[in-house]
Amino acid sequence: MTSRFRTPNFRGTTALVLHREGAATDAVLRQLERLGVIATQIWPTIPQDHAAVDFVFFDADRGYDEQFPWGGDAAPMPLIAMLGTEAPGRIEWMLSRGADAQLLKPVGSAGVFAALVVAGHAFQRRQELAREIDDMRSRLARRPHVAFAILHLMEREGLDRHAALRRLRQLAMSGQRTIEDAADALLTATGGQDVVARAG
Amino acid sequence: VQSRVPLVLVYSRSGPYAALARAALDGALAALAEVNNAGFDFRLSPEICDPAGATDRYEIMLDAALRRSGARQVVGGITSWSRKEMLPVIERHRALLWYGCPYEGFEAHDRVVYLGASPNQHIVPLLAHVLSRYGGRAYLVGSNYIWAWETNRIARELIADHGGQVVGERYVPLGSTDIAHIIDEIRRHKPDFVLNNLIGPSSYAFLAASRELANTDPDFAPARRPVISCNLTECELNEIGEAGIGHLSISAYFDSLPTDENQVFLARMQASGVRRPVSAFFVGAYISVRILAEAIRETGTDDPEVILPIVTSRRHQTPLGDLHIDPATNHAALTPHLGRLAAEGRFEIIESAAAPIVADPYLSHRIPTSNRPASHHRAVCALRIVQ
Repeated sequence: MTSRFRTPNFRGTTALVLHREGAATDAVLRQLERLGVIATQIWPTIPQDHAAVDFVFFDADRGYDEQFPWGGDAAPMPLIAMLGTEAPGRIEWMLSRGADAQLLKPVGSAGVFAALVVAGHAFQRRQELAREIDDMRSRLARRPHVAFAILHLMEREGLDRHAALRRLRQLAMSGQRTIEDAADALLTATGGQDVVARAG
Repeated sequence: VQSRVPLVLVYSRSGPYAALARAALDGALAALAEVNNAGFDFRLSPEICDPAGATDRYEIMLDAALRRSGARQVVGGITSWSRKEMLPVIERHRALLWYGCPYEGFEAHDRVVYLGASPNQHIVPLLAHVLSRYGGRAYLVGSNYIWAWETNRIARELIADHGGQVVGERYVPLGSTDIAHIIDEIRRHKPDFVLNNLIGPSSYAFLAASRELANTDPDFAPARRPVISCNLTECELNEIGEAGIGHLSISAYFDSLPTDENQVFLARMQASGVRRPVSAFFVGAYISVRILAEAIRETGTDDPEVILPIVTSRRHQTPLGDLHIDPATNHAALTPHLGRLAAEGRFEIIESAAAPIVADPYLSHRIPTSNRPASHHRAVCALRIVQ
């Protein structure tokens, strides 16, 4: 049984603060310590072989692409931008790095807890959406296979197009898979590839 | 020649939480009188702000008071909204705020000293006691603001974690006494206990109506289905009267604490004309002023940058016992006591934690009970009977 105590708790998680030493870094480290997050300050770059961490805070004012071991917005963890300037160019860069939340400088006694919750949530949502989009793309790419499978059923079993579609749907449902997976399975199992070949 | 150290006290003597604020102000003034008669080489010179319970007046009034007096130390605030309103002013003036009330946590400001209980010192041990003795079917009621929202949210999670169920949850506007619909629901659902996070007149009306319900149907007697609270103290018993008898409250302080420190303190208060019983709100403000005064005496300054490291590195002798303020969070370690309201405005203490509990304002040390089956029992056992 898993806990139903859902209050966000960051104790024991890890974070990197990619920022020069100074008041803002100190304030973030102090807040992280209160939350039980094991945090390290680092500047100017995160080495390629750096151990994985749960969160990265980064300086949006003086940051640049080469600081990160990953390209573009492909960070494998939630990112929190520490933003002092509101110059549009810096905001644009912060967005290009895929910041999930931001913390305004000067940093005081609060803000890190909310930033961790928001960034964690946004990151998770982003990951879910990315998975969903991958899935949709794959299914979209295999739409022709569905058409081939229907053609195959019509030819082999003498069904009209409506009955063939119904049959394919039944196969998908009974196998608890998508109609694209059912189409692929049918074509593989029954040597229906010749339909694909002829169509191709 | 004694120097004068200005000190701003911010309490609303009218409005929905006036009873708590008056108790706190009395506590601050009692400490102030002691300090000024103690033969120290300074006198505390108080400036009292009374925002009359209007949240938007706190910022303006405190700002004006700090400008006028040049004070760098502030004692006050009852509600979290008023504290949040004061924080920007405190920052601007590089002052230090002493906050002595139980609150909902999720804050650890560098310029605030927290001497009241946070959730791991109130709602967590309160529910640990109640869930295992009265059952898991809970009804949550509160005034419609952050104290109740957040305390009830934590309660919901603790109750769910325990395998219990929230059978109803209702909020009423601050100051409203329209609670008949809530009593109807309680009558229908028969919860094992009611968590009362109402404040002021709403709470008084609710307790009176709960008493009436218990009088007409013994199944709702407090011994069977108690109303439990994290902020019901002696300072409201005039307004509550007999209606609260038998119900439960958890607090870091009760007038009836049998400890030597408290007996000495109460004798001193009584001698100086303070009306008994005193409450956690009185004592929270009292110890704020006393701890501050001792630190000024030790360091010769009221500069917050000097005072804060001193007060978080000393142990303080207080009516609550030996008290330590955690330098990591600026929160006091406190010993929760569970009290049952008895006749004549006394809380009968039925359990106390064995030792002060370090404040965990973000609940980041909480171990989910169902992941670690033994921990719930440990929490229960941590409350031992002192009487």
